[in-house]
Amino acid sequence: MSEHAHRVVEVPATIESIDVVQAEFDAWWNELDDAKLETRFAFEIAVVEIATNIVEHTHRVEGSAGRRFQLTLSADDEAVTAVFSDNGMPADIDLSTVTMADVDDESGRGLALAITALDSLDYGRENGRNIWTLVCRR
Amino acid sequence: MTSIDVREADGGVVLAPTGRLTVVTAPQLRNAVAERIAAGDRIIVVDLSSTEFVDSSGLGALVSCLKSARQAGGDLRIVAPTEQVSMVLRMTNLDRILQPRASVADALQS
Repeated sequence: MSEHAHRVVEVPATIESIDVVQAEFDAWWNELDDAKLETRFAFEIAVVEIATNIVEHTHRVEGSAGRRFQLTLSADDEAVTAVFSDNGMPADIDLSTVTMADVDDESGRGLALAITALDSLDYGRENGRNIWTLVCRR
Repeated sequence: MTSIDVREADGGVVLAPTGRLTVVTAPQLRNAVAERIAAGDRIIVVDLSSTEFVDSSGLGALVSCLKSARQAGGDLRIVAPTEQVSMVLRMTNLDRILQPRASVADALQS
């Protein structure tokens, strides 16, 4: 299985960084051969939602304390993968209980959208860091 | 970067966000719609033909603006969502309450 485009992004955990993440995602995606637009739509919304979740969690729990997060984007013949890593406080989240918000709700769709869009979403702690792993089959 | 073009029209106002409607830019849309409702507009048309990407924060802003317009006795209508926006509306079931109109003219009239 050959490895294709690979990109590492490290940014402050701030709202403005979401634009940086999307610009880097765009550049990375354009290096992939033969990638379907529908896969891009699904994967990009999930990447943006998890990035936003990390930023908002950091601000809720710690304020803007100079935290940063790293995103690694990679692809092989079968799947595209994104791994987020940050040194913030553990996220108290059980992904198996996430449901889509009602249509009248103004928030609460981010994680549900990511789960729906992806083939797998995992969260865990490794060496004191939060690790989110997102996989979408190509 | 996102900018929001605001155009007064016969029967309401047309707002056209260009670029990405995300957590970065959703407050701009909320503010623009709040200003127009305060100024007396009741039919708010959001032209999404140049909105290349929307996330859950952008959707939250649309739901919030729809509620504000209805509370003021008006309505919010969307027009011409791009492929990505249509997909996300479907995934969240919001296509039930934000059904796209065929054109800006249609949205202003019906």
